[in-house]
Amino acid sequence: MVHALHQARRVLKDGGYLLDLRPAPLHRRIGIEQDGKYEQLIVMKEDFVDDYAANRAVKEVIDAGLLKLIRRTRFDCTRRMDRFSDFKTWLDEYVSMGKVRGAEELLETVKQGMRSRKGKRRIVILGPIDLRVLVKQ
Amino acid sequence: MALRIDREKNEIAALKAVTSWRGKRVLEIGCGGGRLTRRLASLGPQIDALDPQQNLIDFARLELPKSYASRVEFNVGKSSRLQFPKDTFDIAVFAWSL
Repeated sequence: MVHALHQARRVLKDGGYLLDLRPAPLHRRIGIEQDGKYEQLIVMKEDFVDDYAANRAVKEVIDAGLLKLIRRTRFDCTRRMDRFSDFKTWLDEYVSMGKVRGAEELLETVKQGMRSRKGKRRIVILGPIDLRVLVKQ
Repeated sequence: MALRIDREKNEIAALKAVTSWRGKRVLEIGCGGGRLTRRLASLGPQIDALDPQQNLIDFARLELPKSYASRVEFNVGKSSRLQFPKDTFDIAVFAWSL
């Protein structure tokens, strides 16, 4: 990660911006949205080891005086899925990366959440995104 | 897969608040299937978008609107070995990839 930051800094012009955009290390919340209303079903149990490692890598280049943090923003980012199969595909990717615990409980809870409701409804995943803006020094 | 991300457009609003993107030279690292690339392209920069996975780059190229084609180039590449000269870009974006 530090090497990637060094590489990105190398190809930036002086005063150029490096943007680090990624999910905040907070457990994502999963629910059902229906008729404009959101009801939470369950909170994911995630592994944030990689996130903390990325944070340390950014801190290292800042502490070395190579990049300067000028702004940090957090904003909501919502994922919406119409079908349970879409949710399973999405979750499978995280499971394959070893980032999620209790996947079976997640799947069962969401499946039951969809089945117990009639009419148009969708699965909604809530999780904020962190944007760090750094300037090449 | 029917997946809609950030219908509220909070992501692009946050990126627009950083700086003016029009006419800038941008490097996107970890572009995946091009979702964010397309949003960035709407802001008017010249974009070089990289991802280590060929299948995602192929998909990103297919999904890119023709109106952006002259300003966006997708290539397979790794963040650990950027094949660009120094001092090339105004903005580098690690798009969910650091």
